[in-house]
Amino acid sequence: MTHQDVVAQLIKLVEPYAEGRVAHITANTGLTGELALDSLKVMDLITDVEDHYEISVPLNTLADIKTVGDLASLIQKHVGNDA
Amino acid sequence: MKENPRLLAVRAVRQELATLGIDPFGIQIDEILSPTEGLIQGRRTILAGTNNYLGLTFDPDCIAAARDALESAGTGTTGSRMANGSYAAHRELELDLARFYGKRDAIVFSTGYQANLGMISALAGPGDTVMIDADSHASIYDGCNLSGANTIRFRHNDPNDLAKRMGRLGAEASHALIVVEGVYSMLGDRAPLREFVEVKKAFGATLLVDEAHSMGVLGEKGRGLCEEMGVLGDIDYVVGTFSKSLGNTGGFCVGDSDEMEVLRYASRPYVFTASLPPATIAATRTALRKLAAADDLRLRIRENAARLHAGLAALGFRLGAPANAVVAVLAGEKVEALRFWHHLLKQGVYVNVMVPPATPGNESLLRCSVSAAHTPEQVDAICAAFASWPGARV
Ligand SMILES: Cc1ncc(COP(=O)(O)O)c(C=O)c1O
Repeated sequence: MTHQDVVAQLIKLVEPYAEGRVAHITANTGLTGELALDSLKVMDLITDVEDHYEISVPLNTLADIKTVGDLASLIQKHVGNDA
Repeated sequence: MKENPRLLAVRAVRQELATLGIDPFGIQIDEILSPTEGLIQGRRTILAGTNNYLGLTFDPDCIAAARDALESAGTGTTGSRMANGSYAAHRELELDLARFYGKRDAIVFSTGYQANLGMISALAGPGDTVMIDADSHASIYDGCNLSGANTIRFRHNDPNDLAKRMGRLGAEASHALIVVEGVYSMLGDRAPLREFVEVKKAFGATLLVDEAHSMGVLGEKGRGLCEEMGVLGDIDYVVGTFSKSLGNTGGFCVGDSDEMEVLRYASRPYVFTASLPPATIAATRTALRKLAAADDLRLRIRENAARLHAGLAALGFRLGAPANAVVAVLAGEKVEALRFWHHLLKQGVYVNVMVPPATPGNESLLRCSVSAAHTPEQVDAICAAFASWPGARV
């Protein structure tokens, strides 16, 4: 699974939370920045991500996750570990 | 003056409320008249947004016990439980709580907030896993933060979702700490505790239940949802507060584990704060005796809850859960909910208003809570205030 694959999938998972605030979501789009997701939405998104990839993403590992790309990298780490 | 960027978001919210001229989060009760009435903005107001479930705040026996302790033991302890702040009465209250729940031991903390912080951070640390319900109280989230443990959130009140996530942990699952609440403070909905106990047993994990909003209200003896569901013996740790049905301030944890004795010393929120003052301990001991015997009050709170729930449902409002001491009216969009709240206040009814992201879902809530001390007439007056709202029922 390439980084691009994960970003593409993640954009699909983020879109329902974005409510059209950003027309073109990319790896550089900020989750709490441009997408303006509040803390609860970010946690809901993580729950969806965990279910899609069947991984565990602890909340305490999210401190440095600012963008869609950051989250994609974190997912890759977990998918790698669990595979 | 230089602006602290950390405060920008809160400042923006405060500014928005100031512009609306509605400030539910800065409201002041100028005079407290009884467990169910106060003077707010010059108006005699029915308090329908407290946690005074049994109405014990003005109980004459509790007041007398507090007064005696105040005069005999002074205003405060000036120290931690681990140093000069443990008086005989603190330990006696712990033994009272342990006996009340039929558990081996109890630890008293200075607030319920600290009880969650103290227990979660003593039971789990970096490398461990804590599984928490998505709608957990802030004190549970903060306890996880303080612990440094891996924190995984499962879908609200969903034991199957918990089991699925536990399954992903592999061998680590048997070391996990699961944290749920009995009754959730905002919607008043109850946890499926029997099913959570099944999951805990299947994985050999540890289960902590916060009974803040069910103590005194549910169960034959007031031992909460755990008692009502017959699972008290299967719960490893029950956390609770003195600040709701006991009408005071403080928190506690009861448990059967032989680690209770050392847990308190491993708990920074227990060690690094002053213990509760003698008057609080004395009044709480009296309140606990009353709570255990308060069959009449439990009946009244059930009747009041049913009356309010039925009244609001009949008016066409959408409610958060079946009848319970907490009755939440779903109020849609934020500004409209704030206006609705302000309208109720002008009718002489105080309720709590909650707005996203502090609420489950994307919706604002008008949270009403009933007390055993409310009269049926007061409950009808609360319904009448809701009925007079000229806006839409969302
Ligand atoms: C579920 C829950 N746990 C803990 C607490 C904290 O209790 P206390 O007010 O004693 O700090 C509250 C109350 O705010 C609560 O609702």
